[in-house]
Amino acid sequence: MDEKKEFTPSIIYGLCSWCGTGGSETAGAMHLQYADNIRPFRVPCTGAIDPVYILRALIEGADGFAVSGCHPGDCHFDSGNYRARRRMAVLKTLLETFGLDSERVWLRWVGHGEGKRFADTANEFNDHIKKMGKNPLAQRRDT
Amino acid sequence: MAATNKANMDEVGMNKGIWVEGRAKKKVLEFLNGLLNSKKLEAVLMPATNRTKDSYSWFLMGKDGLLESADPFPPVMTTQGARAVSYLTKKGRAWKKTAVLLRPCELRATIELAKIRQVELENLVLISFDCPGAYPLEKYFNGDQKKLDEAFDACLSKQAELEGARAVCSICNRFTGRGADIEIGLIGGEAKGFWLIPGSREGEDLLEGVTGSASHKLEAREKAISELRAQREEKRKQTLDSFQETVKGPENLMRVLSSCINCHNCSRVCPICFCRECYFDSKALSSEADAMLQRAQRKNGLRLPPDLLLFHLGRMTHMSISCVSCGACEDACPADVPVSMLFSLAGRNTQAVFEYEPGRSLEEAVPYTVFKFEELKDFEAPYIKEYSKEQ
Repeated sequence: MDEKKEFTPSIIYGLCSWCGTGGSETAGAMHLQYADNIRPFRVPCTGAIDPVYILRALIEGADGFAVSGCHPGDCHFDSGNYRARRRMAVLKTLLETFGLDSERVWLRWVGHGEGKRFADTANEFNDHIKKMGKNPLAQRRDT
Repeated sequence: MAATNKANMDEVGMNKGIWVEGRAKKKVLEFLNGLLNSKKLEAVLMPATNRTKDSYSWFLMGKDGLLESADPFPPVMTTQGARAVSYLTKKGRAWKKTAVLLRPCELRATIELAKIRQVELENLVLISFDCPGAYPLEKYFNGDQKKLDEAFDACLSKQAELEGARAVCSICNRFTGRGADIEIGLIGGEAKGFWLIPGSREGEDLLEGVTGSASHKLEAREKAISELRAQREEKRKQTLDSFQETVKGPENLMRVLSSCINCHNCSRVCPICFCRECYFDSKALSSEADAMLQRAQRKNGLRLPPDLLLFHLGRMTHMSISCVSCGACEDACPADVPVSMLFSLAGRNTQAVFEYEPGRSLEEAVPYTVFKFEELKDFEAPYIKEYSKEQ
């Protein structure tokens, strides 16, 4: 039990440069805190996140990968987030198929003004991954 | 091949088959030869025995040597036919009427490639047949070819299970040439003959003047097909489900993949993997010794060449949605990794998310290229309001 409490997961948070990052800025302006083991990963649009980036993070050491971007209908590039949603669906289906913890990948929309939602998501995901424990894939040398 | 004719192909196919008596292979070649003679066709793209006569290659050819060397029903799949078609028309349409003879899986891959503009269907006449399956390349090259050929010929019309066929062939549920301009119907023919069934207006035009009797037994054929399909679908489900159990979890998956030698042959022969430069072969994945040493430290060691799992899973995210389960990947694997089963399993599950079936219809867009405003809510993490209060 003690060991699990000490476990600090390594988490990547993929944020689009418009809403996701905006959410984190609003969270900052509102002085909301979120776990400092979460590393933001800024991309032009959630639609620019190839599932391979997420897979690589998970295989090479990340315990979880969350993605946040503009709500459907709000995408700066019109349809990037819809495409992202399709890619994430495929990725999660594949992880599920091969029993590789599809719950280590989260997709949740965060708007520019939603600082609270951003901080909540970051903290909730952090706790969720802490509960899941270390990512077995990241510990293997034969991958 | 005209895209607009696709929608009503089932109706056309049901009514207008022409029954031709005789040995299918010979008669089909004569039929093609006749079309070439009358200039209705100017070229054919199809497999033919190569010079040593122990294997097949794809040739773009006219009348010369067609009757002697070409084989519309080769017992092995050396090159995926869709790849051959893509080589022909990737840079623009064929400007002469060209017939292409494809296995059903090759036909489906061709349609997938047409959707992503790697194949231009104009002026191509797609012809496909009821495929009994194919032998693994290695087995065919090293085995008693005469015996294997005979067994294959016997299966062509008898709709019997092809013994020793590749793993994906024995669970294939899309084994008819439906969707082609001309479908060669072997199932139900009981070795006495076969049907030539038009699937489009173009196919009908080409079949004009073919002598044969009316299609009195087409209903029996449909019945035989649906019986076999139901049987295969059940078998496919069971086989893939039990296969999934053997590869589930990091430990099992890595055991199956452990013999992989990172040659990337599977992606090179895959008809759907069309990218000119593959991400997994690119410089994006190469890193300096320093980075590798760090990775090794993090993971208690590092397998070299690296990114084995990333390659397979990554490729699945890129193309499994269009995977037609043709098995070309496994034929090309020198290390006996069950690649075709892995990708068939992945494809089945990812395609199910979008209720998509690759190669079913030209009108059906590849799921990655389109979207709906309201969909896939299950894949989003629902927001619990006031989460921070629970802490």
